[in-house]
Amino acid sequence: MAASTKRLLLASALFTCIAFALYLPAGAHAGDVPLQPAPEGRELFLTSCASCHGDDGRGTDLGPSLEESGAAAADFQLRTGRMPLGDPDGPTVRKPPAFDDVEIEALVAYVASLGDGPEIPEVSAVAGDVSEGQLLFIDNCAACHGATGNGGAVGPDALAPSLYVATDVQIAEAAVTGPGEMPRFTFETQELNDIVAFIEDLRTESAPGGADIGGIGPVPEGLVGWGVGVVGLTVICFIVGSHRRDRAMNGGRQGDGES
Amino acid sequence: MLRWIDKRLGVAHWARKGLRKIFPDHWSFLLGEIALFCFVILLLTGIFLTLFYRPDAQPVIYNGPYEPLRGQEVSAAYESVMRLSFEVRAGLVMRQIHHWAALVFVGSIVVHMLRVFFTGAFRKPRELNWLVGIGLLLLAMGMGFTGYSLPDDLLSGTGLRIAYSVLLSVPFVGPHLAFLIFGGEFPTEGIISRLFVMHVMLLPALIIGLITAHLLILWRQKHTQFKGPGRTERNVVGKPFWPQQLMKSVGLLLLTGAVLAFMGGLIQINPVWAYGPFDPATVSAPSQPDWYIGWLEGALRLFPPFDLTILGVTVPSPFIPGIILPGVAFGVMAAWPFIEARLTGDSAEHHLLDDPRDTPFRLAVGVAGTLFFVLLTVAGGNDVLAIMFNLSVNQITNVLRLAVFLVPALGGLIAYRIATELRDSRINPLGPDEGVSLKRNSSGGFG
Amino acid sequence: MRAERTVALALSASIAASIGLVIVYVLGGEAQLEGVLLGLSLGGLGVGVTAWAIKLLPARTETEEREELASSDAEEAAAEEDIGGPIEAMSRRKALARLLVGAGGTLLGALAIPALSLGPRPGDSLFRTLWTPGARVVDRDGAPLRPTDLVLESVTTVFPEGEAGSPDSQTLLIKVDPDLLNLPDGRAGWAPDGCVGYSKICTHAGCPVGLYRAESHQLLCPCHQSTFDVLDGAVPSFGPADRPLPQLPLAVDDEGYLIAQGDFPEPVGPGFWNVTTGGGKLMQRHRTVHH
Repeated sequence: MAASTKRLLLASALFTCIAFALYLPAGAHAGDVPLQPAPEGRELFLTSCASCHGDDGRGTDLGPSLEESGAAAADFQLRTGRMPLGDPDGPTVRKPPAFDDVEIEALVAYVASLGDGPEIPEVSAVAGDVSEGQLLFIDNCAACHGATGNGGAVGPDALAPSLYVATDVQIAEAAVTGPGEMPRFTFETQELNDIVAFIEDLRTESAPGGADIGGIGPVPEGLVGWGVGVVGLTVICFIVGSHRRDRAMNGGRQGDGES
Repeated sequence: MLRWIDKRLGVAHWARKGLRKIFPDHWSFLLGEIALFCFVILLLTGIFLTLFYRPDAQPVIYNGPYEPLRGQEVSAAYESVMRLSFEVRAGLVMRQIHHWAALVFVGSIVVHMLRVFFTGAFRKPRELNWLVGIGLLLLAMGMGFTGYSLPDDLLSGTGLRIAYSVLLSVPFVGPHLAFLIFGGEFPTEGIISRLFVMHVMLLPALIIGLITAHLLILWRQKHTQFKGPGRTERNVVGKPFWPQQLMKSVGLLLLTGAVLAFMGGLIQINPVWAYGPFDPATVSAPSQPDWYIGWLEGALRLFPPFDLTILGVTVPSPFIPGIILPGVAFGVMAAWPFIEARLTGDSAEHHLLDDPRDTPFRLAVGVAGTLFFVLLTVAGGNDVLAIMFNLSVNQITNVLRLAVFLVPALGGLIAYRIATELRDSRINPLGPDEGVSLKRNSSGGFG
Repeated sequence: MRAERTVALALSASIAASIGLVIVYVLGGEAQLEGVLLGLSLGGLGVGVTAWAIKLLPARTETEEREELASSDAEEAAAEEDIGGPIEAMSRRKALARLLVGAGGTLLGALAIPALSLGPRPGDSLFRTLWTPGARVVDRDGAPLRPTDLVLESVTTVFPEGEAGSPDSQTLLIKVDPDLLNLPDGRAGWAPDGCVGYSKICTHAGCPVGLYRAESHQLLCPCHQSTFDVLDGAVPSFGPADRPLPQLPLAVDDEGYLIAQGDFPEPVGPGFWNVTTGGGKLMQRHRTVHH
């Protein structure tokens, strides 16, 4: 082979290798390969998380240690956009996630490697029993999230959110890791399946009585009772009855014409 | 046919007299009728419900079509309401019409009561009817509370627990009273059937009796009327009972039914399947009673944590907001005709109604009282307010603790000032603009 | 005439709606359709009747005199005489009259006495629950619990063994970091491995205290927002509750399961007049133990 051709071949091979390396298709999908503390995860952590959680993830004044968080907590916080938290004293609410799937997986893998916290639970609503789920839900979840899962205030500065937006996995992750003010629950996999099956039923259930008006009970019912019922009937009285107090007396003659 | 009846009862003369009776025609006089018609609808739908409801606390297994509760142990009462809602044709719409009618029943009583109050229709000789009316309001609230507790669901059961605790708080006799009424330590199996007896037999009998008295007194005394040309304290100007007024009333009854039917079919109310059966160790949030009990709930939430203990006797904090407050409030309301007569020195007979502008003191008291109840009701939903407006429930509570006194006082004062201004200047904001009359005097100026 | 047309239209609509309602019912029924059709049926008839009353009937305004409401003085005096006279005469026989009143009153009292059959006497039932010394702590399914079964910052509703679901014994079992605990004097041994137990019945009005704020370590009652601090003996920090949630003295038995050392030292649930002084011997023993 001519020297120039050899050089060309070598260059092409090198180029191809570099191109291939740079444009490798996105790596492991959930459950694909065992989570290894990928180097990208640590880098992302250092730029986005370490300022509050410490370079080693053991916490600082601004944020707790993530030793026991595990993949479940990291996945929950990142996928629901609660983390990263701009203001350490601010409320943790659902926002669009700051990272894409690849980055999240990397971060999750890294945080999981910091200790032995819970793994991402595997849940399946179809494998759950709706009635068992209702029992578990009403005993453990309804006090904060409401019997219909619409959420509620938990004290002055915390909100148990509505469960209609979260995915089944996120619900299970939250139950197991107890984010923020939420307590932690030791549900078995079947119990988690039951709970998500029930919540799925809540989501798809139609209100047989008509318009739902919030699903939080007598407060909206009272407002509607007044606003539609009492006000409506008062208006009807107004239409049906006479309005003018100072009508002239007609002494028994007809044709008064009042409405 | 009329002759057939008259041959047997001899009522032709009295019937003619009665049917010719004149009733004044203002629209605001129809509000009491709305309450009456809500009651009629409650009776009719209630009879239907009674034929299906089982007042029985015995546990059964639910096997109906509502999947989330299938296989669970529930009380027979709860199961019967579930069956009514999901398996009995027209059951759900009847239930919902019944419940909406209950909310509107108490609401229309309140609106009617406010009309009577602000126009001074309670004055002599109508103090008695005012007392009957207050009694009806209390009975209506009692009907509502007993009624919505019948399904034995988680939400109403929580309310029963609170009622039991308020009874417990009565000094010396509290525990005895609570155990007597409930039949033992909460929760008891017997309370559901007792509530049923109250709701279906005792309270309706009292209400029907009082409504009859209310209408008979009204009939005897003739209705009041607003001031106006040709109207005096010695006459009644209006339309005859038959056919004009009676037809209008029948029409109003039908229209009330129509509104309630629309609500009962289109807007869901009290979805007891969502709350699940009552369990004494479980609770859901938010937990509120129906609106007309909301003021009591708000009082319980706002009252500060003061358990008074003197010489070993404790007066727990629910006692004052739960027993003393309603006692005083309704006591003052009931006694108002006599209080006002004493304060104004006016013990004359009145058949002409007041323009609220002309009675600024009464207006102020009414506005203040209404604001007080409204704020307490709002306080009953402080946690719902917190989620609706993204505020701290603690802050809302603290603000309301002050507001519940300041706002009524302020509102009363403002109402007083506005009324005196309107009265003194003779401006009628709701009437036609009468303009201003200018007269030129002899020197060319105006005055 | 327009009014006639309105009435005719309304009444016809009502007829159609009523027929529709029957059809819907026969076909199986559906709440929304039933409500709307019933509403149209009632409303059509209502509009028809009302419009007829207002527009089609002769709109006569008439005047009627008010007779004097009260009877004449002579009549009232005669009534007083006729009705009151005999009563006065009877009351002049003082001894008999007093006996009559006495008999009537005592009879009413005797007739009212069966009201006491409505319920049992409270006795000491408000002062005790089903927790006994050594009773195992079980969850709602009746399964006993070890401290290791619980995860930190978990909250579980527990009952005495054999009494799962017992309303007055319901207890919240919370596992916290033992270093954070600051329990009242004498209770250091009541929380093995940081497992604390508090009565779940709110001391304000009796609702189950169902909410737990794990980060703030506060129990919250949804009914009236009473808040209790888990770390320092469930002392109330906000809301209308004045008494702390009674704490259940816990220990661990030989097999490592959580047990109660005895019943709660105070009555559970909302207060009543002798909540601090009643209960006799039951409470005496407890009261000398703690505080």
